[in-house]
Amino acid sequence: MTPATDIPLKQPAVSATAGEAEQLERALIDASTRVPVLMFYASAMVWLLIGTLLAGFVSFKLHAPDWLSDVSFLTWGRMRPVHMNVMVYGWASMVGMGTAIWLMARLCRTTLRHPLLLVTGAWFWNIGVLVGVTAILMGYSTGYQWLEFPPYAAAILVIAYALIISWAILMFRFRRGEQIYITQWYLLGAFLWFPWLYTAAQAMLFVVPVQGVMQAAVSWWYANNLLFLWLGAIALGTAYYMIPKVIGRPVYSYHLATIGFWTYALFSSWTGMQRLVDGPFPAWMITASIAATILTIIPVTTVGLNHHMTMQGYFPVMRYSPTLRFTVFGAMAYTVFSLVGVLISLRSTARYLNFTEASVAYSHLGLYAFFTMVMFGSMYYIVPRLVGREWRYATLIKLHFWASAYGVGLMSLMLLVGGLAQGASQNDSTLPFIESIQSVLPYLRGLMIAALLLTVSHFIFAFHFGLMLFGLGRTSTVPTFLNPVEAEGSETHL
Amino acid sequence: MKGLLPLFLGVFGTFAFSWVGLTVIPNLQIGALNPQMDEEGTDIYPMPQSGMVAHGRSVYAANGCIYCHSQQVRPDYASSDIERKWGDRRSAPRDYLFDRPVLLGRERMGPDLANIGKRGMPHEEQPSPAPSAPAGSPAQAGAAAAQSPAASANPSPAASASPNPNGGPAIYSEAWHHKHLYAPRSMSPDTRDSNMPAYQFLYEKRRITGERSADALQLTGADAPSAGWEVVPTYDAKCLVAYLMSQDQSHSLKEVKSAGGAAPAAGSAPSPAASAAAQPGAAAASPAGSPAAAASPKSK
Repeated sequence: MTPATDIPLKQPAVSATAGEAEQLERALIDASTRVPVLMFYASAMVWLLIGTLLAGFVSFKLHAPDWLSDVSFLTWGRMRPVHMNVMVYGWASMVGMGTAIWLMARLCRTTLRHPLLLVTGAWFWNIGVLVGVTAILMGYSTGYQWLEFPPYAAAILVIAYALIISWAILMFRFRRGEQIYITQWYLLGAFLWFPWLYTAAQAMLFVVPVQGVMQAAVSWWYANNLLFLWLGAIALGTAYYMIPKVIGRPVYSYHLATIGFWTYALFSSWTGMQRLVDGPFPAWMITASIAATILTIIPVTTVGLNHHMTMQGYFPVMRYSPTLRFTVFGAMAYTVFSLVGVLISLRSTARYLNFTEASVAYSHLGLYAFFTMVMFGSMYYIVPRLVGREWRYATLIKLHFWASAYGVGLMSLMLLVGGLAQGASQNDSTLPFIESIQSVLPYLRGLMIAALLLTVSHFIFAFHFGLMLFGLGRTSTVPTFLNPVEAEGSETHL
Repeated sequence: MKGLLPLFLGVFGTFAFSWVGLTVIPNLQIGALNPQMDEEGTDIYPMPQSGMVAHGRSVYAANGCIYCHSQQVRPDYASSDIERKWGDRRSAPRDYLFDRPVLLGRERMGPDLANIGKRGMPHEEQPSPAPSAPAGSPAQAGAAAAQSPAASANPSPAASASPNPNGGPAIYSEAWHHKHLYAPRSMSPDTRDSNMPAYQFLYEKRRITGERSADALQLTGADAPSAGWEVVPTYDAKCLVAYLMSQDQSHSLKEVKSAGGAAPAAGSAPSPAASAAAQPGAAAASPAGSPAAAASPKSK
């Protein structure tokens, strides 16, 4: 198969196969999104580096529990939620919004109006995360997982978000063209789901607090939906844009995409309670969530099949295009993530793995292997179009990819297998409880290797991104390929 | 897909479905429970917490204890929680009536703490003994065995001359918790391999002026302060331990079949919510789906 190198790889970043008018239009749109999108990306990168260092610290401290034990804000129980919140709200949400803004502008075929709104929104968001993180460090955590930020930090995030969403609605108001592309369904969904989700959770926990165990139900409902309907929806939308775009071929089936989208919205929003299996809750809640988790196989297969059929015959392009390589990895990880989710949610296995590291593996598969990898892919595509330069070093991109891929792979494996071992000794009441910790600790040491790989990967990427930001990218008419394109005639273009 | 309206309606519809289904409806079902009491209106359970215990809960939340410790006992058919003596019965929604934030937990890098306070209490002072429980009941005997080393909940270490086989304060007594928080690996062979973080920032090391403080920690070996110095708990530490000592789900609940065969409270509580919770499948129904009444064959 050699159709791969025909059309798409020859495309330089700022030109297109279409007519000159369309090229100009795209260039204008890209130029209008430049400041806000780079603002979101740069903030996200800073948070990513902070979160990565925190992850290493948290991971190490698990093995050195007496280390720094007289410093209150460095205690494990505060650093861990800080790491999670920095990753979810600092990195994931910001990079997701950056990519979503660019995609929206491109797909609505309209230049971005009122960029100041977005830049202000990004500043507010950063301040909100910073305030929230500081509050956790100072001991003002609310105690609800993924919602540790105190209400005043949450209020700042809501203000920031209002600025950002008002822009998205404006964008839709001025869109051109009748057709609403698949990516826009997901993005529009994410943009509307998130504020509802966030304010509903805040209201039910802090404004009109619900009683007793319902707080736990609300916070699990929130955490799962944040993963699926906010971050997951952005990542799926991005993959639906990037894969066809890079290989220059339309999506295989719109019907499959429709089924995939609606089943995703319907079923994944009902998951979450399976994590409370056998807890003090009505059994039907847990059963409903387990059923919904099993039903997410439908969106997984339809989306996976659709991507696969689109890619059919074009897989070799992954050898060259960084965007495609990261995006396809992420899209495949979505399948793995969902299947692991089903496997650890069945009542029998959930009982076994409920309180183990396996659930940490699950959230990392979703947040990193799926979401973050797709976002890396989109950044490799979008940043050159914003700064008018190409990525400087193919080697760095390759290093980034392999360190990330091996890092997250090793991490998930360690946590899953460690979780199994931990569950085995936890459920054997003849063993003292300490055995269950001893059985998982070796895996958690292995985790530190994974954390190291990811740290290397993120610093490489941050360095490369920094070069681009300061205008030190390559000036070229062809994108940076991971490997030299062997097709004849390409040498003259390079 | 053409037209924004169907997309908007679908996006709102699917999410509204999940929101109503997973938060609003359950909230109608278990979101307005009342404490359980007997016919005279006494023997109320649970009771609201206040003062040091309430502050201790916020210390617990602030320092992320929840990331390693759960506070829920699962039923015996689903887990070994009860065999591990973490409780006599499974937890039910009513146990958490006044908890804010509720700290059910999601991981067990440390043992469950739902009944840690009760387990530290001396046997005679159990708030709700189960007099009619058959003596041969294995879980009951096990629970008693777990409590036997505990002798005193007295905060003064001097008073807790305890049958702790390893020396030091009685297991799960206040003094034990303080020492354990300060130096988690100093306690006994059980905790030597623990990887619980030390919470030394909750304690104050100060020079002894005059008499040694009554609440100073009795530390030995490498953890002990140098001569003339002592380690005393801060207010936060005292509250945290008060909170831990308040953790007790041993009171029987009508809707829960006790694994140890303990008698549920006689008579039915007058609150309407209690009867709602007793519906089969409503909350914490036993595996056989037996209604609460069937859980008390041995009582009276």
